Amino acid sequence: MRNRNATAYRFLTPYLLIFAIFWVWPIISSFLISFQATRTVPWRFAPGFNWGRLIGDPAFFNALKNTLLILVIQVPVMIALAMVMAVLLNSPLLRARGLYRFAFFAPVVVGEVAYSAVFRLMFSLDFGIVNKLLNSIGLPKVDWFSNVTPAMALIMIAVTWRWAGYNAIILLAGMQSIPEDVYEAATLDRVSKLKQFFHITLPLLKPVIVFCAVLSIIGTMQLFTEPFLITERGGPGGGTETLGLLLYRQGFRSLNFGYASAVAYTMAGLAIAITLVQLWLTREPK
Amino acid sequence: MATVTLTNVAKRFGAFEVVHGANIDIADGEFVVFVGPSGCGKSTLLRMIAGLEDISGGEIAIGGKVVNDVEPADRGIAMVFQSYALYPHMSVEQNLSFGLRMTGNPKADTERRVKRAAEILRISELMDRRPKKLSGGQRQRVAIGRAIVREPQVFLFDEPLSNLDAELRVQMRVEISRLHKELGATMVYVTHDQTEAMTLADRIVVLRGGHVEQIGRPLDLYDNPDNIFVAGFVGSPKMNFIKAHIVGRDAKGVVVELAGEEKTRFTQPLKVAAPEPGSKVIVGVRPEHFGSAGEGAADLTAAIDVVEHLGGTSFLYARTSHGEDVVIQRDAAKVPETSEVTVSIRKSYLFDEKGLRLR
Repeated sequence: MRNRNATAYRFLTPYLLIFAIFWVWPIISSFLISFQATRTVPWRFAPGFNWGRLIGDPAFFNALKNTLLILVIQVPVMIALAMVMAVLLNSPLLRARGLYRFAFFAPVVVGEVAYSAVFRLMFSLDFGIVNKLLNSIGLPKVDWFSNVTPAMALIMIAVTWRWAGYNAIILLAGMQSIPEDVYEAATLDRVSKLKQFFHITLPLLKPVIVFCAVLSIIGTMQLFTEPFLITERGGPGGGTETLGLLLYRQGFRSLNFGYASAVAYTMAGLAIAITLVQLWLTREPK
Repeated sequence: MATVTLTNVAKRFGAFEVVHGANIDIADGEFVVFVGPSGCGKSTLLRMIAGLEDISGGEIAIGGKVVNDVEPADRGIAMVFQSYALYPHMSVEQNLSFGLRMTGNPKADTERRVKRAAEILRISELMDRRPKKLSGGQRQRVAIGRAIVREPQVFLFDEPLSNLDAELRVQMRVEISRLHKELGATMVYVTHDQTEAMTLADRIVVLRGGHVEQIGRPLDLYDNPDNIFVAGFVGSPKMNFIKAHIVGRDAKGVVVELAGEEKTRFTQPLKVAAPEPGSKVIVGVRPEHFGSAGEGAADLTAAIDVVEHLGGTSFLYARTSHGEDVVIQRDAAKVPETSEVTVSIRKSYLFDEKGLRLR
């Protein structure tokens, strides 16, 4: 048996080598970089340099606050919206179901740059359709790009628009896997459709909802495209700067790889921690 | 308790009619089984009684009240599904009480009903378990329990035993029979298994292709089938059908000769007008109606292919010289060692070419 294992590992060696060089080593190496002072050449080992800066850096805490704010507001709203969309898509009354399914999924396949450009146009102060609509119902124009609160709202709207349909399709698949006769049994038990949703659909969908939430948390922790392209590099004045953007700024603009690496590992650590809390809170009772 | 009356009940999916005007009267407290092959419309008929399928024509009355437009929950019925349809995220106790809790039934009454159902079905010790921790038989009991707590006028069972293994099926069959006696409720039961139908039913409704072929007590259907379908469907192993033709008439009835078996002639009593001599007919003989040679009206010789020994009895799978396959039931002690067997036909049924019984 031992011999057979050895042979198997010999066959696996080429793959394991590539895996170690291009996957394992970069992870270790980038983590080690976070312990180096990289602002001047040559880099030197200084464990407290980046991690110490992180703890006292207002820009980091601003980015962290923005990221968490988006996470706390946008993820629940998006999943609730995705649930409503999934329920509508699942309705037997709906016609042209395939068309709607495609329409809801389409934002995911639209290029990020194209969609950001369209959002900038739609929310433009003077020419945007959104402000025109607000005006038409008697509300004042909103300067979406110059004030922090509307800019944050815009980021959340954009991310929700992009990913709600995607989550709705995943939830729909979950809904369709619930056997029809469970609902029939509930109907015979005189349980209303609304109660069926809250007492049957939602509990049975819990694993799927948790899956969507975990994906969304990871995605939001890495949020970059929208604040970079729509609110122009986290504007106004860093008001929409996220951790992803801070990482980019440090790594690619200031070429301060050590600090960027510390930010990156903080993002990953936070995503894992939040996800673990989420999984613990929604665990199945034994 | 209540009667169930189906009058000209039809079901169409677009232009396709799956149930063609069924007329069935089910008495108060009766156990009626709908039986038939897959796709015969038996489950559709049951779901129409439950209100889970709209009816395309006719009338369904429960307890004398027409329920065509009454919501399923208001029909006074409870249904046990083939897949059990238990709520997977709830414990047994929650499964049983869910409907009552959701409709605001008083807590004390809910507890009383759940306790009673659990006692009847002997599942009291399983109350905290979830369905996935139960065996198939236990799940089936919970599904039946959920029907009992509703205290319905009519119980509907949709192939409830088809997911169980053979031994458990026999056990649950007895349980359901006991339950019927204990509750005295009207029960409508759908199955494709004629053994279940024969053992459980007060009356059986045999369905084929959306038509009611015959309604009657189990032994009436067995002894007196209206047509070749019912004759073949009821009984296991099924009735043998042998091609034959009419050769004449005598004082007692009509003289029949099996195809290719010139020596095998016998008289079949007949009340209706006899078909013309030469008319093709089909002779039906149940496996147990073959006797020893010389015991009956005519003898038949067949080559034995396979012998199945079941202990007390044996089944001989044989072929006549004309190539007709027949199954012969024999006492285990009387199974011949030879490759041929000669048997007599002690009792037979006569069907015309269309399969209708001639009697």
